[in-house]
Amino acid sequence: MECQDLIKYLSDYIDNRLDEALTRAAQEHLATCANCHVVLDSTQKTILLYRQRDQQNGLTTRHYQSLYDQLAQAFAKKPEGDL
Amino acid sequence: MPCKISLRYVTSVVENTSNEQVGIAVTDEQALITALKQRDPTALAAVFETYADRIYRLGMNLLHDEQHADCVVQDTFLALIEHIDQFEGRSSLGTWLYRVGYNHCLNQLRKVKPSLELDSLDEPDMMPVNFNPWPAPEEMVFTSEITSELERAIATLSPALRAVFVMRDIEELSTNETASVLGISESAVKVRLHRARLLLREQLAPYFGEQFEQTGV
Repeated sequence: MECQDLIKYLSDYIDNRLDEALTRAAQEHLATCANCHVVLDSTQKTILLYRQRDQQNGLTTRHYQSLYDQLAQAFAKKPEGDL
Repeated sequence: MPCKISLRYVTSVVENTSNEQVGIAVTDEQALITALKQRDPTALAAVFETYADRIYRLGMNLLHDEQHADCVVQDTFLALIEHIDQFEGRSSLGTWLYRVGYNHCLNQLRKVKPSLELDSLDEPDMMPVNFNPWPAPEEMVFTSEITSELERAIATLSPALRAVFVMRDIEELSTNETASVLGISESAVKVRLHRARLLLREQLAPYFGEQFEQTGV
């Protein structure tokens, strides 16, 4: 496998979507190509960083209850089966 | 974007209603939908608990504005309240909520840029050019500088790529669910995710490469 092939298959490799032969070929290339190893590692870290960042984000720490209360009020006012 | 009902924001941190308190397992979707149709308030609490933050993050990542993201959550749940009687379960409740939230985001983006193009896949594939190693995530403290850098990088993605990255990699929806929310094929989701990941990595590489050089870990 060449570098351009590894990059082409990078997302599928990260998501474990490659078949056995391509996975093995990718692993062999990654073992010898420092640049592709960095690209894989930093792409995985990119995903992790955004996941970590968004774990800290959310409505809950801001005005969750206020919004929920008003929606619950609207929900209660709507009769069952009302179209 | 005006919300449909006015909000009185609270500044204090409030606790969630837990699923245990409301007594409905969100995993039992059919029971949940039946309860929603019967106007069971605990059902609304369970859905809100499960999806409010997720819809909010979708709004924030696509619109980069807290008030607009609030409105996306509010209007999404108002749509649920309004249309629950017609909900036929052709998609999961979560997929339906994401789709409504996403469409609200698109409407807002089109107000700013009416010619917004979402379906273009003719962007060329890119090859990485920055090969500096990055620090390990556990070695990085989430400073405001890092948060700003992540914000800056994701803002450079087109809305089409950003939406796929947010749904697949941040909210961890499946390829099938993401395709259903966005109304595109699974192969289009895969292509966009691949491009989004590479573009984001390349955008962030100079900053984190420098961090690695400074810290050496």
